[in-house]
Amino acid sequence: MIRKFKVWNFSEPYYQMYPDTWMTMDEKYVERIWSLLKNAIQEIQKKNNSGLSFEELYRNAYTMVLHKHGERLYTGLKEVVTQHLETKVREDVLHSLHNGFLQTLNNAWTDHQTSMVMIRDILMYMDRVFVQQNEVDNVYNLGLIIFRDQVVRYGCIRDHLRQTLLELVARERRGEVVDRLAIRNACQMLMVLGINSRAVYEEDFEKPFLHQSSEFYRMESQKFLAENSAAVYINRVEARISEEAERARHYLDESTEPRVVSVLEHELIERHMKTIVEMENSGVVHMLTHTRTSELGCVYKLLSRVGEGLRTVADAVSAHLREQGRALVTDTLHNTNAIAYVQNLLDLKDRFDHFLQNSFNNDKIFKHMITSDFEYFLNLNNKSPEFLSLFIDGKLKKGEKGMSEQEIEAVLDKTMVLFRFLQEKDVFERYYKQHLAKRLLLNKSVSDDSEKNMISKLKTECGCQFTSKLEGMFKDMTVSNTIMDEFKEHVLSSGLNLYGVDLSVRVLTTGFWPTQSATPKCNIPAAPRNAFEVFRSFYLAKHSGRQLSLQPQLGSADLHATFGAAPASPPAPAAPRRHIIQVSTFQMCVLLLFNQRDRLTYEELLNETDIPEKDLVRALQSLAMGKPTQRILIKHPKTKEIEPSHQFYVNDAFTSKLHRVKIQTVAAKGESEPERRETRNKVDEDRKHEIEAAIVRIMKARKKMAHTLLVAEVTEQLRVRFLPSPVVIKKRIEGLIEREYLARTPDDRKVYNYVA
Amino acid sequence: MPRSSKRTRSGAPTSGNDVLPGATSIDEHHHHKRSRNSSLRRHLKAEDTSFSVKKCLSWFKEYTSVSEPDVLGPEGMEKFCADLGVDPENVVMLVIAYKMGAKQMGFFTQEEWLKGLTELQCDNVHKLQNKLDYLRNLLNDPHIFKAIYRYSYDFARDKEQRSLDTEVAGALLGVLLPRWALRAALCEFIARERRYRVVNRDQWCNILEFSRTVDAHLASYDADGAWPVMLDEFVEWLRANDSSMPPAS
Repeated sequence: MIRKFKVWNFSEPYYQMYPDTWMTMDEKYVERIWSLLKNAIQEIQKKNNSGLSFEELYRNAYTMVLHKHGERLYTGLKEVVTQHLETKVREDVLHSLHNGFLQTLNNAWTDHQTSMVMIRDILMYMDRVFVQQNEVDNVYNLGLIIFRDQVVRYGCIRDHLRQTLLELVARERRGEVVDRLAIRNACQMLMVLGINSRAVYEEDFEKPFLHQSSEFYRMESQKFLAENSAAVYINRVEARISEEAERARHYLDESTEPRVVSVLEHELIERHMKTIVEMENSGVVHMLTHTRTSELGCVYKLLSRVGEGLRTVADAVSAHLREQGRALVTDTLHNTNAIAYVQNLLDLKDRFDHFLQNSFNNDKIFKHMITSDFEYFLNLNNKSPEFLSLFIDGKLKKGEKGMSEQEIEAVLDKTMVLFRFLQEKDVFERYYKQHLAKRLLLNKSVSDDSEKNMISKLKTECGCQFTSKLEGMFKDMTVSNTIMDEFKEHVLSSGLNLYGVDLSVRVLTTGFWPTQSATPKCNIPAAPRNAFEVFRSFYLAKHSGRQLSLQPQLGSADLHATFGAAPASPPAPAAPRRHIIQVSTFQMCVLLLFNQRDRLTYEELLNETDIPEKDLVRALQSLAMGKPTQRILIKHPKTKEIEPSHQFYVNDAFTSKLHRVKIQTVAAKGESEPERRETRNKVDEDRKHEIEAAIVRIMKARKKMAHTLLVAEVTEQLRVRFLPSPVVIKKRIEGLIEREYLARTPDDRKVYNYVA
Repeated sequence: MPRSSKRTRSGAPTSGNDVLPGATSIDEHHHHKRSRNSSLRRHLKAEDTSFSVKKCLSWFKEYTSVSEPDVLGPEGMEKFCADLGVDPENVVMLVIAYKMGAKQMGFFTQEEWLKGLTELQCDNVHKLQNKLDYLRNLLNDPHIFKAIYRYSYDFARDKEQRSLDTEVAGALLGVLLPRWALRAALCEFIARERRYRVVNRDQWCNILEFSRTVDAHLASYDADGAWPVMLDEFVEWLRANDSSMPPAS
């Protein structure tokens, strides 16, 4: 149908042509006009509008409205449209219920729209004036409403429409090919019929559609879960979601997309989160154990769609990690080797970092989870601080095969990550000092730079209070070297006698170096003793007011030894052999005694050297009961235990390929139990002081503070080193009250005052 | 303790043979009164209201020995209590000591004696006896009681130590807080737990607060109440050993 109408210029010339006598129209005239219009409308509805004059029709409508007969027109319009839709259109549609229903409906809809447009154009004056004034629906909308109520929502048509559409979708879901365009048209129609709202679409189609989808996927998910592994299920879910989204975009209304996706997410994912994650032999734990990185990535991606999805995954991963970590840490069989212990932990961390990066997208939830899990199990074993220090010790000592400085640095960085998880950092500090002292004094550091590097890492973590003493230790070494140079010059220039001893002294400032409970006694033989006295005078002359005390447990000596001067029996070689043997100070004391006597009992050795028993035993064990290439002395009888009456004498049959033989001291890798307890006691003592210092510091600044607040502050300040318990803090507060640093306020015993 | 003869003379009616309202007897009474009036009243006034330092000091001397004229020691204390008619363990003795500001339990210096009794305006035993009720009532004022309670710590303490021996503390609590429901339990606790050999000042003061704020069933005990650790441990011990105590909430 070609429109014959042109854009009309809406000035109202007619009014001028008809004088006032025409103000009232008689009924007959009105009816005549109306009949005209009615016919026209009906022709339009029959698609016979070609013979109509737009201008005339418009004018008639205009006249009616102008003379206050808009109501009649409006009512009439309503009747005509209703009648047409009821009697003609609806009947057609009803007849087509089982034969081309959607097509028929769609055609009816199209036709209706077209005719309504034309009708609206004719009645436009009524739209502008009457409709507005009386606040009724405009012509086009009126048409929509009637079409909606009389056709689309008419009882069985409504039901049939819904069923048809749903059935089509169901079939497509089953894999069939359906007429998408028909569905699309129907959906668009419903959207339009809502008149500025999607209510009709929603009620007549979308709600039931979502309901059906929900049921469908509920069934499918159960079936699929039962039959497939987690990974396969997840892929399937992803596929279905894509499919439904595409469907919504293509032929439903696109506003349905988020709604239907949300239904799928709920049915396929949310309902089964735990099942997926915890599936035996294919769930998250299985994926972790078998390093299925990309599968885990899929799990992550999928479950991040729903609110609690990632939490569920993280919980499962965390449980597994904690179990692994706990097993590692409490494995008593293998936990004597610090190096292996720490290495295993580093490997575990690497493993989970790999997952964090490659499966879990560096997600914060997972990052925090890994941190808190490590914090949890690392601190289950109270030897962790010691072992960590031993591990670092191993890396910083000479003899670490084939690691470049960068490799060492990389390992140390990773170790620092573990350090951060430690709760008892002050225990670590104590051990680190001990181990560093040994490295420095026994000259075992692989490089000064690596050492300094490590210290600056610790400084970044813990502040300078932690590292100031360590740095002090280094300074002592440097200063000692300078002093030794000065001493050597001094000896040369003054021609002093050093009794044939090439002396080397390191002066250690007491506060920096790990303290011994008491310096062990030791009878130093004459020559070295006298040589040391020369040094002592020299030093004290420079620094009067200081005190020097010899630390025999830390020293070493090189001895010229001659073996085989009197060969015992063949197959011992005949000629005497000279060696240089490197021994500890204690061992030196023992060996030099054999210059005077051939044989000595253990008891005699004990008395003459004055060395503490446990140290003497260690010294003798290395000298007499080690490998043959180390056996300087022979013990008689050759038992493992050392009794007071057992005898020792020089092994004249001693041989070694090396000229310079280093006697290894039987060193414990890590402390013995009593030593560990002692260290722990020292740590507890130190902690008491630190707590008190913190309390005083805080109270001095605040002057007045309530008990619970004070405890919280103290805990907060000390947490970088260790975690004090509230009871311990309370005890320290009481101690300070007694010593009158603090007092309870007279009004409230729960609040403390600082006593200046 | 025989009542003062002056009392009956001053006209207090004797029971039983009370005088029937009759002019003569009344007149007699009045006559009695009048005749004795001036000198008697004067005599009474002088007796009851004046305080003589001299008298007070000579009273003090009844309890000191030649070798130690300035200090009233344990023997003198015994005699003093007997004269007063008060058990040496009685809490009123603590109040007296408090008034005197006595430094050491079992001893009063002359200065302390004078200070306390001047404040009480007593220069002989009878006057002090009359004051005993007043002194006992002082304990009913919570502020004064607290002051006396705190005072008694230093009073009872061995001056060589900072803290109070557990035994002494227990006895002292018996005198000061005889009606506190948990007193016996606390004394048992600190006697049993060997680690508590002394009670320090802070603990001592808090015991009073504890007795005042925490009920016998420990319902109002607040674990965050900044109580000394000893009292926390006492509560724990009590809950563990006494089945009548409800467990911690």
